[in-house]
Order: sequence, then structure tokens, then C-alpha cells
Amino acid sequence: MSDEEMDFSDDDYDAYYGGEFDGDVDHVDPLKNDPEYMDVAFLIDTEVERLLNESVEELSNSIQVTPSLAKMLLHMSNWNLPEVVARYRQDSHKLLTSVHIKPPQPPPQNVFQDGEVTFCPVCLAPMSPDNASHLTCGHTFCKDCWSMHFEVQIMQGMSVGIECMGNNCQVSAPEDFVLGLLNRPQLKEKYQQYAFADYVRSHPQLRFCPGPNCNIVVQAKECQAKRVICVNCKTQFCYKCGSDYHAPTDCETIRKWLTKCADDSETANYISAHTKDCPKCHICIEKNGGCNHMQCYNCKNDFCWMCLGCWKAHGSEYYECSRYKENPNIAHESAHAQAREALKKYLHYYERWENHSKSLKLEEETLAKIRERIQEKVMAGTGTWIDWQYLLDAAALLAKCRYTLQNTYPFAYYLEAGPRKDLFEYQQAQLEAEIENLSWKIERAEMTDRGELENQMDIVEKRRSTLLSDFLQV
Amino acid sequence: MAATRRLQKELADIRKSGIKSFRDIQVDESNILTWQGLIVPENPPYNKGAFRIEVNFPAEYPFKPPKINFKTKIYHPNVDEKGQVCLPIISAENWKPATKTDQVIEALINLVNEPEPEHPLRADLAEDYTKDRKKFMKNAEEFTKKNSEKRPAD
Repeated sequence: MSDEEMDFSDDDYDAYYGGEFDGDVDHVDPLKNDPEYMDVAFLIDTEVERLLNESVEELSNSIQVTPSLAKMLLHMSNWNLPEVVARYRQDSHKLLTSVHIKPPQPPPQNVFQDGEVTFCPVCLAPMSPDNASHLTCGHTFCKDCWSMHFEVQIMQGMSVGIECMGNNCQVSAPEDFVLGLLNRPQLKEKYQQYAFADYVRSHPQLRFCPGPNCNIVVQAKECQAKRVICVNCKTQFCYKCGSDYHAPTDCETIRKWLTKCADDSETANYISAHTKDCPKCHICIEKNGGCNHMQCYNCKNDFCWMCLGCWKAHGSEYYECSRYKENPNIAHESAHAQAREALKKYLHYYERWENHSKSLKLEEETLAKIRERIQEKVMAGTGTWIDWQYLLDAAALLAKCRYTLQNTYPFAYYLEAGPRKDLFEYQQAQLEAEIENLSWKIERAEMTDRGELENQMDIVEKRRSTLLSDFLQV
Repeated sequence: MAATRRLQKELADIRKSGIKSFRDIQVDESNILTWQGLIVPENPPYNKGAFRIEVNFPAEYPFKPPKINFKTKIYHPNVDEKGQVCLPIISAENWKPATKTDQVIEALINLVNEPEPEHPLRADLAEDYTKDRKKFMKNAEEFTKKNSEKRPAD
């Protein structure tokens, strides 16, 4: 097991099956072998703070500004330290004005004149230099008003970008200014919490884990559309867009597809029923497992759930069930016929997408059954718990592969017809056939030899990684 | 309370200034947070009448912006049927505690006189305003004559 694999996830299963190479290979660059590999680190808030503070300190030392200003500069410039330093050296006034640390015009004269009473422009109460404050813009207000202003802004969820109270003034208040004027410790805490979230969001190498109530921050050098599995809450997501992982389909395409499905699902649901008739004896069959290889309980006919064709033909390399065949004469047909053809095409892909999604859910039930069966066997003395672990590994691999397979359908739907699509659909069909094979073997694990099952696992994962290395674009 | 002191001063200043386009300001003594007043626009088609508005200040004023509502119906791309108006100066994001009510009223009067069809509340009126100004003016004038309040004599 390579060290790199361990860094990237503590998930045992992934550490074992995520890479193609085990300990017998001395050193292999994981990037070259696993198309899904991504170098990420999982940080807790104190680690993130340390990371941010390192940049802040470096900037603060190199251009001689306060840490608070350095933090603001970095936040406004997406934490690009070399660029900030270069821009500061080139024209410090221009940089500080553009990030709203300084006003475009120089500040006015001191508002306090000898012998005259000065009023705070916000509350209109008299103020003295001791209880008044201002930012670089010189707009002077009493400390009570500043404190109240910050309180109202923080309660509205604002933090880093809180501006001066002056009319049309866009100068932002740095952290130390805000914290120095806030009275309640609770508010200070809230401000720091919001500011922290703002800093993470503006940092190109950091991401919050999208899992509910998860505080983990994921760090990656490059922003790629690759899979991240949170070490804390196990949420699986795409690093780039933060939604459910979707390889080999890219972020934009999956969004388009999901929107389309949300719009069209009623029609699709209406057309594709949840049960099908056995093609031979026509008895009504409800699918109760993830495998698409069906065996009619009545007539023992083996058939494919997707196309209702004879299963025997699916075992060979001519498995074509996942491929949609376009009607070659469609260009000459009427608009009505073209619309129907378009719907037919969409439904072809949608049904398969939906079907694998259902299969994934059903396989969760299979997993529960496997656990039960293992328990029974161990209690009955047939083997130890460890002896049966390979079944759980197989089920986990099946879920992973089916997940990828499900996500190949939106990709294929938007792929233009041509040799690339043919190749893709060929590989997709290969993957699908092997997945169904594995699913069938897992459901009948007692009758399947362990070696045979593990061999099948290897084949499936190879097919999956081949497809991804050929088509995954990040 | 900061709100009361400031509103009393602002109210006195506006009344003293004798501004012609915003007058007849009525404030209940027990509640200085609600003002009513009459907008008297200069530009056609709204110069055929006057429009009553209500200004509601929140308890957190001036740290939170006031809200403005038209009490008189007005045929205007930036005011909806309920009398709600979209005025950037008093939106939560743009609001500045140092902004005074007279500046808000000034912005409102400018908006009434010069509609902004680019960000309308009533898209149908905005479309007429940009594409068929004649039709818009005719409708707006008729509507104003029928629904608005009488303009003060002086």
C-alpha cells in the first residue's frame, strides 16, 4: 500500500482498491495510474488558521503592514501572495484603493476644532476625540455608533466586507478595528467565525466539506473535478463544484443533465413503469435487487432488465444494451417526429440513469443482507468474521462502479455522435456487462467461488479505471 | 435612543427647509418611526397630481434603512401595485447609517420624475415606457388624473 494513497483517504477500501498497484510495485506516480487520484488534505479549523496566518505573516513582514491589513489584502486578492507583493511594490496607493483599504481621495481635515462642539453624524450626540474613531477615509463617528453598526452588520451575516458608515464610502473596516470596537464577547466570536468562513471561501486552495454540520476544510493545490471523500463525515463530493461526485461527466454537463431531469422527470416517470413483464411468460416482475440479469421465478427465463432481451447475448463482448441507436433517417422526418425522437433519445439515457440509481439503492439492501448472512455463518461456525470480509469489499466495489456507470449516461447523452462516442459506448457497455456479472455473483455468493468473485472484482475495477482514464477531463 | 434623537432633528430640518416636492409631513407624536408625506413631482405625466407616501423607520434606525411605501396608487415602472418601491439607496446592502432622510426623499423624487426601466418592478409598464412612450404617457396621465391626490395650491 503506497503512502500517497493513505494521505488521500483513510477509507480502508479506497486505500486498497483506489490505486491499481499494491506493495509489490516500489514507487509509481499515482497520478499516472489512477485517473481519479487527487492530492488533498483534510484540515480542522486550527490547522486552517495556521495556514492562513503563515501567509498573513509573510506578507506583513515583506511589505511592512499590520497583520490585520495584510489579511484583508490577501482576502481581496484570493490569497495570491506574490501578486499582492508585486502590485504593492509597483503602486501601493492603487492597490490599497482598489481593495477598499484606502479611499480614492485623501481624507478631510480633522473634524475636531478647538473650542467647538462636534456632533456624531449618525446619532447626533456630541463627541470628543477620545470616544470617536475613523477609518483611513477620515469619516469620524462616535464609538457607540461604530459598535452598533458592526453589531447590526454581523447579525446580518457580514464580516470581512463591513464598510464605513459614511455616505457612499466604500472603505472596509479591518479585523482589528472591528474587534477593538465590539463590546460583547459573543459578537466578537461570531465575527471571527464569519470572517473565517469568508477567508476559506476566498482561498482558491481551500473548500468547506459540503456535508451537513461538517467543519472539515479540504485543501488541494489544484482545483479539479475529482472525487473527495471527507475523512470526518464520509460525504463524497466533487472538489470543483461541491455537489455529488459525477465522473466521467464534467461539472457543467451534470448540472445541465440534472436540471433537465428535474424538468422532464414527470414524463419519464409516466413512460417508464416500475415493473416489467417477463418477455417469455409475461408474468409481472418487480425488480428487488440491483442486478440487471433477471431470472423469472416462474419460467426461469434469463433476461436483461434493461432491454428484455435474452441474457445469454449479454455475456459476450457484444453487450450493447447501454448504447442508443439513432434512427439514421431522422433528418428527413417532420419536426413532430424529430421531437418524438429527441424524447426517445432522452428517455433511453434517463431510464438507464434512473435504473442504476435504483440499483444502487437496492444494493444497499443487498449489503445489509450480506452482513446478516455473515453474522449467521459466523454464529454457525462456518468460517470466521474475517473469512467473509471479502464479500463486503465486493459490495463496496460494486457500489463504486455502479456509481460511475450511472454517471456515464449524462456524459453519453451530451456526447456528439462519432468515433469518440462509439468508443465511449463500447467501453460503457463493457463496464456495464462486468458490473452485472459482479452483481449476480455477489447476490449468489454462497454458490460462487471466492477466487472467481475476486477475479471479477479485479476485472470490473480495471474496466472502470480504463474508461475514466480515457474520458475523464478535469 | 439614537433613533428618536436623530429622527426629531431630521424632521425639524426637513420642515425648516421648506422643500416644495415633499410636504405636508405628518408624524404621530407617540410614534416618530412612521412618517407620512406628500410627493409633488415636477415632470409629466406625474405633475398632474400628488402622491402620499409612508416612511417606516426600524427601531435600529439609523443602523438599518427605512422602508418607503406609496399610499396613493401610481402608474410607474418602479412602483408595484402594492405601493412598494425599489430604491437602491435604502436597500440593506447599500444602506449607510450616515445617509439622511432628506437624501432618501430626494432619491425617491428623482426616481418618480425619471423612471428607471432597466430595473423595473412592473415589467409591462417598463416595456411600454421604453418601446411606446406615447402610449405610456397617455395611460400614466389618465391614471394620475383619476387616482392621485390634489396638488397643493402654492
